[in-house]
Amino acid sequence: MNLYRQSNGLPSRLGPGRERKRLIAASALVIVLFVFDIFSGGQVRAQARDSVSSVWKLGVSAGKAVRGSGFFSSRAALEKENAALKDQLARSQVRAAAYQALKDENAALRGMLRISENELGITAPVVSSFRASPYGTFLVGAGSSDAVTPGSLVLTEENFVIGRVADVSPHSALVNELFAPNVSTDALIRGAGVSVDGQGGGNARANVPREVQVEIGDPVTSPVLKGRTIGVVGAVEEDPASAYKRVYIRLPVNLAALQFVYLLKQ
Amino acid sequence: MIHNLIRPTLALVGILGAIFAPPWVPLICMGLLAFRYPAWEVLFIGLLVDFLWLPAFAHGAPLFTIAGFILAWGLEPLRKEFLFS
Repeated sequence: MNLYRQSNGLPSRLGPGRERKRLIAASALVIVLFVFDIFSGGQVRAQARDSVSSVWKLGVSAGKAVRGSGFFSSRAALEKENAALKDQLARSQVRAAAYQALKDENAALRGMLRISENELGITAPVVSSFRASPYGTFLVGAGSSDAVTPGSLVLTEENFVIGRVADVSPHSALVNELFAPNVSTDALIRGAGVSVDGQGGGNARANVPREVQVEIGDPVTSPVLKGRTIGVVGAVEEDPASAYKRVYIRLPVNLAALQFVYLLKQ
Repeated sequence: MIHNLIRPTLALVGILGAIFAPPWVPLICMGLLAFRYPAWEVLFIGLLVDFLWLPAFAHGAPLFTIAGFILAWGLEPLRKEFLFS
């Protein structure tokens, strides 16, 4: 049976004229919204993001209520155990990486930690999924009403920089992930300056000169982010024919499980 | 009955996908909607994705809005020529 047929210009039961008019009207409205948003300094975007952060919080509460009701008890128990083990593993890796970073940089880092302790910031909840954005961004539940400004650094509990605030709404802020695809950051690995290219999902890679001894677990810091740690070396790939080593960098933090972040006030 | 539900369901999945799911979910919904119907919803799903996740339009091209226009208007000749029975 032929699934296709000549429509004779009748795309739907509403008739071509009405559907076409709707499409034209929608196109015009989208253009108007787009232009209005640009000239209003992102008011429409801000409203959309604030609404979505509310929807996300509602969704999270509903999810917790459903899980807590015991309806999916066996599944929930397994998921809980799995999450606990993953969390434990992630924490161990974080502790190891943090210890290594502290050991390597010793006095300088102590000085920086003193500065960091004196720096003002706020803790904000993550109010979106890390995988929903096609542009390597995510939303946090603090905005201009909490004195968050564009450019503020976003840190995990363990002081790893994961991004920068790109756009601020009254009650939410959009964060650009540091390891988002096509994002490059200047960094240092064992004193060698490299350009770290984000790959998404908390992973990045860099090319390091062959002479530099790089080992798995080495901290990666960024001078443009006040010398803070942005990740750890996860793997090193050497090619005898190349003058460079390919270094794979990862965040020792499970981004999907991240519930809160720390935003440094500028 | 089911036939009438396809379009709103795809639109709803596209909108929820823009918020909660990976970007390919709204993109597929946009593609399916635009392929089958002269769907104005495609434009709004694309715009929603860009409003939510693109830092500022000066920072990059609003790819999903552009994709929405291309799908909604670019598939118009194809829709006119062939429709599922």
